Amino acid sequence: MAKKLIMNNKRILLVEDDELDIISVERSLKKLDIAYELFTAYNGIEALEMLRGKGGQPMKPLPSLILLDMNMPKMNGIEFLKILREDNMLKHIKVFVMTTSGEEQDRKAMEKLGVSGYLIKPLNFNNNNKRSDSMDAFVQFHIGKILRQESSFS
Amino acid sequence: MKLATQISIGFLIVISIDLIDSYTNYTLTKEVNTNTAFLTNSEAIIRNSGSLSRTIADIHNAFRGFLLTGDEAFLEPYNTGLNTIPALINHGHILTASPDQDRRLDSILAFHKLWINYGNLLIKAKRKAIRDPHFLPEYQRLFETQFKKRVAKSYSDEIASLLRTFDISEYKTREGRRKALEASIRRTETVSVFFSIFIIIMGIASAIFIVLKISGRIASMVKLAENISRGDFTQVKDDKRDELSSLSISLNSMSEKLSRNISELEKRNAELNQFAYVVSHDLKAPVRGIYNVIQWIEEDLNNEISPDMRKYLDIIPQRIKRMEDLIDGLLDYARISREKPVKEETDVNVMVEELAEMIVPKAFEFSHGELPKLWTEKLLLQQVFSNLISNAVKYTPPENGRIEISCAEKGDQYEFSVSDNGQGIDQEYHEKIFVIFQTLREKHDKESTGIGLAIVKKIIEERHCTISVVSSAGKGAKFIFTWPKN
Repeated sequence: MAKKLIMNNKRILLVEDDELDIISVERSLKKLDIAYELFTAYNGIEALEMLRGKGGQPMKPLPSLILLDMNMPKMNGIEFLKILREDNMLKHIKVFVMTTSGEEQDRKAMEKLGVSGYLIKPLNFNNNNKRSDSMDAFVQFHIGKILRQESSFS
Repeated sequence: MKLATQISIGFLIVISIDLIDSYTNYTLTKEVNTNTAFLTNSEAIIRNSGSLSRTIADIHNAFRGFLLTGDEAFLEPYNTGLNTIPALINHGHILTASPDQDRRLDSILAFHKLWINYGNLLIKAKRKAIRDPHFLPEYQRLFETQFKKRVAKSYSDEIASLLRTFDISEYKTREGRRKALEASIRRTETVSVFFSIFIIIMGIASAIFIVLKISGRIASMVKLAENISRGDFTQVKDDKRDELSSLSISLNSMSEKLSRNISELEKRNAELNQFAYVVSHDLKAPVRGIYNVIQWIEEDLNNEISPDMRKYLDIIPQRIKRMEDLIDGLLDYARISREKPVKEETDVNVMVEELAEMIVPKAFEFSHGELPKLWTEKLLLQQVFSNLISNAVKYTPPENGRIEISCAEKGDQYEFSVSDNGQGIDQEYHEKIFVIFQTLREKHDKESTGIGLAIVKKIIEERHCTISVVSSAGKGAKFIFTWPKN
């Protein structure tokens, strides 16, 4: 039974435990120069509590996209994603994954759970390839596209 | 059963057979001795019988002589014989064991006594006739009727016949005994030969049995020891319970302990590698964070940064880069043993040419001799060559720079060498250069982390091969390493 859900395209949920990555995402979003609302959860459990609401009152409207870090304490990205995809209310939210692992195995597990895109966080720096550049490009391309769309129902 | 017991049993068997042999020989010898004694006795009997026969003949002759001549001197042997004959008969009884012969002797004595009775009668009559011729007819009558017909004829004939029979019987018994004696001597010989052969066979058989038993098991233990020395920690199967078993049990427990220790060591090593990997991996995140923050500061304070501060801020990424290189080197170092390399068909000629293409600047003169094709862990060999060639490039000025690679076969290994005509390495650093994070360059040098040669050494030593350097300051360097043929 498909429920009618209200989603807000300007709403983003960032699930990330690393302060630096949170700042990094915030800075990239600012550069887009589009109004948005950013919610931050430090792990999967916290994110689920936010979305479903602690006292049974779910978040209204729901965010249209989630930026999900894979490697987190308590509940990692894959576990969170599984729960999300089994929840009728939440399974339509677009999920982008941020990970340091470029391994094929992880990529396949995520693809099965239907993710919209990846950001492989680079671990190495080259003098001419700055890490924040790849974050900027990622946010520009994927997130910007969604933020510019009109609010819609799904 | 204990080996000592088994050997003792073997000896006991041989000794028992020997004892049986000795006992058999003893009884046979006793038999031979008995037979020999019997023969000696029999000869004595015959001799005695001969004496008896002669004495009887003497008596008879003496008797006749006296009757014819009337000379008393003739009666001398007659009288002696009368005493001798019973003694001889008695002696005969003592010597013989045969009842038949005893009976014959008794008969001889009886006939002799009969003969003596008539003999004495005639002698008396003869003496009477000599003293008084009136009695001559009476003597004549006695001589004609009694002596001639009975005494001379039948009695002496009987005696002679009995003596003959006695002798024949004795000879016959003796012949039987001689045959028995010969047979027993032959039997003694046969039995002796049989036992001797049997003892030799048993001795050899038990010796062979023990030797085979021991040597077979010792061989299996030697094999185990060889296996252990090759690093193959097998166990020897031994269900016997003897002195050798304790050796095999010790060997087995040694093998097991070694195996346990080695696998423990391997586990530790793996843990250490894993540790190095995780640590270096995790070290990267904070470094990345620092780098990010510096970037943000730069971005946000774009126009407010003084030239000095700009200079300081620029140093940070440089140092971060160096730290990253060190961490990467450590990761590479840890990764050598962490990842299982695969073997592939490798043409070393092609490999070094490709590497030279990537690493060696055009100003260098690069050459290589005839290099082998082999089935080996290609990526690792490539890493070794790559590091050594990079090293050569790094320490050789490009002007007139020369790098040369060659190869020689050494048993089941190849001996490769990478030589250059660069600045060389002083003798005192030859050991040091292979130690991780040891670099002979200054600390600010971005290119050198001091891990390359440590990685090379680790790769080579994990293959039980060796690497060494021949060099002196200013005269170039030659790295020589061995590599298994397959």
